[in-house]
Amino acid sequence: MPAIQWWCFAQQEAWSWTWRPLVGVWVVIGLLAWAYRRLLSGVDPGAEPESVGRWRRASFASALFLLWASLDWPLGPLGASYLASVHMVQFLAVGVAAPALLLLALPRAAFEALRARPRTLGLVEAVTQPVAAFFIFNIAMTTSHWPGVVDGLMPTQAGSFLLDLVWFAAGLVFWWPLVAPVPERAGFQPMGKIAYLALNAILIRPPFAMMIFSEHPIYSIYELAPPVAGDPLDDQQFAGVIMEIGLAWIMFSGVVVVFDRWRRSEAAGAS
Amino acid sequence: MNQREMHRRKIRRHTSRPACLTAVVLLACGVPADGGRVGELRGTPMHTPIPKPDLVLTDTEGRRFSLRDETEGQVTLVFFGYTHCPDVCPIQMATLGAAFGDLSPELRSRIEVIFVSTDPERDTPERLRSWLDGFDKAFVGLRGSIEQINEALSSMMLPGVAMMPAESHGEPVIGHPAAVLAFGPDGLARIRYGFGVRRSDWSHDLPLLVSP
Repeated sequence: MPAIQWWCFAQQEAWSWTWRPLVGVWVVIGLLAWAYRRLLSGVDPGAEPESVGRWRRASFASALFLLWASLDWPLGPLGASYLASVHMVQFLAVGVAAPALLLLALPRAAFEALRARPRTLGLVEAVTQPVAAFFIFNIAMTTSHWPGVVDGLMPTQAGSFLLDLVWFAAGLVFWWPLVAPVPERAGFQPMGKIAYLALNAILIRPPFAMMIFSEHPIYSIYELAPPVAGDPLDDQQFAGVIMEIGLAWIMFSGVVVVFDRWRRSEAAGAS
Repeated sequence: MNQREMHRRKIRRHTSRPACLTAVVLLACGVPADGGRVGELRGTPMHTPIPKPDLVLTDTEGRRFSLRDETEGQVTLVFFGYTHCPDVCPIQMATLGAAFGDLSPELRSRIEVIFVSTDPERDTPERLRSWLDGFDKAFVGLRGSIEQINEALSSMMLPGVAMMPAESHGEPVIGHPAAVLAFGPDGLARIRYGFGVRRSDWSHDLPLLVSP
């Protein structure tokens, strides 16, 4: 019987392809699914066209799949203990792609419901103001990949869970001003959104520069992990490349979507 | 107790026992022996220098190898382990091998890295050579009887080899010291590198170990 864990964390033991249950991941996925179902049950089904509803549900399913696949066995333990490159794939999934898909999955009514809670709306408005969101996301991203922080937090389940939580929350903050219709931001028009995304695509954050250009492995948990595949320095450099290229690809995909919506709205306005 | 737990205990045991021993020796001896640049190094100082053991084994080519004679006047890094080791040995050798590979040919020529097998039954000369070549082709692999190995370990105040039976479908686990001992050109070890030493530590220390 494999040992049951709550969350994957850095363990100093040889990698094994024996399946391991990660109960916390299932609980989180289950809670998200339950919350989304409950949210949809309170929304007027006729408020949005059926095609939009289907698209939103597909977006939610994709977000859930990304979270589950990147956090559960085997990617979860591989990224937590053995391979920095897998850790970066997890980051892209948990901290960038899944939050965007999750926000896209929410019906407009869910955002509108915030208006009934002025204090919450005020907080959301302050945190997701584009300049604030830009800094929150990048500070969280830089801090959560700093070698001392990673080496300090990853060896415990609570620390590893906290890092994933920070990624996810920072991702929600980052995408909110781009995706959410509430609060309205008249000043944040398509050109501003494109600049916001493009800046994040080309920005080189300190940990990623360290990953790519350092002569030595910067994370002790991956350097001193029982070997799984290849040299830790190669793995680290690959992780840096995954991060920069993956992030740029997601951001430019966002640019394409924003531009396309802008073009369509302009065309509709002209006609 | 499963195999993973045994590995964890092995790591704890072999990293903590020499440290305790060092602490005891420190209390007993007080002032460290003259170690040149020991204070600048990132390894753990040994307050009583340990002489290179009089160990005569067989290398991977089947030749007789006297540790004292063959490494005389060289900085000699000695590690005891086995090629089936799932964690400590490949990690120690990989970090050391990577840093060793970055050295200039001149510095490399002044350092000998000796890997003594604690599992001579499974570590055939071919397997040992092939495994070491994965880290650096210059690393020397030695084999001998467990009695010889234990005698050498004892003379270096290190714990002996502990054979642990295999679990079902598992490999037998062999307890061995996790530290690399660094002998100076004078044949005395004043510093050891326990499990957890990183490539950057080796890159920092190797040039200092060979400098006078």
